[in-house]
Amino acid sequence: MSLVNLAHVCSHLNNATKARLGLTSIPNSNLHLKLCQALQNSGYISSVVRGGPTPPPAHPILGFPTASDEVEGVEAITRDNVASRRLWLGLKYWRNEAVLGKVSMISKPKRRVNLNVEDLRLIVRGYEGKHVAGLRSPGESLYLSTDRGILEARECVEKKIGGLVLCRVA
Amino acid sequence: MSLARPAKCLLCSFSRAAAPGTRVARRQFHSTPAILSNRKSKFPNIKAPSTSTNPENYKSYTKEEKEALAKEYSEAQIKAIEAGEASIDPKDMAEQFRPRDDPLKFKYLDDFSVVEPGIDHHVRAPESNTDYNFKLRKDDDFVEDFGRFFAEMPDNATGLDYMRFANSLRLTHGKEENELNPNSSMVPDLFGPGETVDEPRVEEQTTASERGEKERSVAAEELTDALKSLLLATGYTASQINEFRIKTLVMHSVVNQTRLGKVRRAYRLSIAGNGNGLLGIGEAKSEEPTDAKIQSQYRAIRNMQPIPRYENRTIFGDVKAKVGAVELELMHRPPGFGLRAQSLIYEMCRAAGIHDISARVNRSRNKMNAVKAAYDALMSQRDPEEVARARNRKMVDVRKVYYAGRV
Repeated sequence: MSLVNLAHVCSHLNNATKARLGLTSIPNSNLHLKLCQALQNSGYISSVVRGGPTPPPAHPILGFPTASDEVEGVEAITRDNVASRRLWLGLKYWRNEAVLGKVSMISKPKRRVNLNVEDLRLIVRGYEGKHVAGLRSPGESLYLSTDRGILEARECVEKKIGGLVLCRVA
Repeated sequence: MSLARPAKCLLCSFSRAAAPGTRVARRQFHSTPAILSNRKSKFPNIKAPSTSTNPENYKSYTKEEKEALAKEYSEAQIKAIEAGEASIDPKDMAEQFRPRDDPLKFKYLDDFSVVEPGIDHHVRAPESNTDYNFKLRKDDDFVEDFGRFFAEMPDNATGLDYMRFANSLRLTHGKEENELNPNSSMVPDLFGPGETVDEPRVEEQTTASERGEKERSVAAEELTDALKSLLLATGYTASQINEFRIKTLVMHSVVNQTRLGKVRRAYRLSIAGNGNGLLGIGEAKSEEPTDAKIQSQYRAIRNMQPIPRYENRTIFGDVKAKVGAVELELMHRPPGFGLRAQSLIYEMCRAAGIHDISARVNRSRNKMNAVKAAYDALMSQRDPEEVARARNRKMVDVRKVYYAGRV
């Protein structure tokens, strides 16, 4: 789990939303894929597709590439092409503002922050817990890497599990 | 020592008179003359309970009073009053009843003397007033009525007599109530005859002099051109603008360096709000400080914009803003927290009608930029409804659910 690469992804997403990109790509890794799927579940991004160095073709109706495209399909990973795979993310905008706000790392490559359920309960209710600021604004989320995959902080509280804090989305 | 002392009992020394008769002033550290005796108030005060607990105020009605009441009230009302009087012992009343003067007492906006058609239960004539067998009177009947009127007319008849006759003239045969006070299932009109939204009904009309207010009409104030154009542009009335919360927060002078020398002008920054979600800021420069102040205030009124408020008391989420070197943060707070912010942000929140907030101003604290940054921060709030629609997810306010929407 390389937090260095994850930090690069976070700042790349910030740059992409500021530049008003509709589709952007990040290096392919299982961590990045799981995090992007969690973001998609929360509605921050519209699509996550694993593709090559060029953007995958857009869905004829939706207008952006989707993993469930029956016509084009998704190229299978082989030993030959795995190194050139990238994750293509569809970014969302609403009322002239990016839906994905600022993405910032909480854990750093040199200092990983683990939170237990008690701390998470505080954070979800808007209080500070273990030097992690509470979720006090509408639409703020915190993503954690747990033994049940990458989950949002509120889901973690629901399932009573803690984990390694990855990033905060405002 | 041959001073004669009056004989006193031992216990007398505890009473007030036994205390040393003269008080010797101590060393004075100030020029105010010392008070040598126990000072008494010039105006003796009366405590509130003593006025109401006086049993004299709670006596049952005398015969004369009852007669006077009978003139004012109907028999049924008199009976109700008597029953009420009988059910409460005047002694209990004197001991227990006290008009509330505490700060938590209920403040009524209305004295409930008038039935408001939109609010109150409709007052309808009873169904028994209806007469289904009524018949319109014929011409002959009217001729008969007029004949009787002329026959019974006194010698010195006036217009009043005719008015009385015309009022008692009926158009139908059958029940009298059916014609005069018919039962109707229609909802009564919101406005009485001659009543409009702006004009109160006749019984509620009181003149300004009656209310003891100062006579102040729009014409008397002599509107300036600037105010006239403001009224025209905004659509507010002069009285509405008088009720806005306007405050000049920043005032300093600015200098323009020209070939001819320094040109000083006054700079003013004002805020305007209606105390219920509208806030605007305006700035102006002028040679005359008063002119700059008025200009800035009018610009603030023109710039008034709605500010999102959570439960009409605080802000949605924590917001940050930066103008120049002023970086500030506004934080939402629970009910009853109050406005714990620096003076400028406090005034802005008061004008906008925000009651719970805290703020932190970092780096520079330049007044002008602080006001602008606070305004930017208030305007940059994210509406949860918009967030939910942008993310295509359902979002529920748990507080609203917990209190069943009564927050």
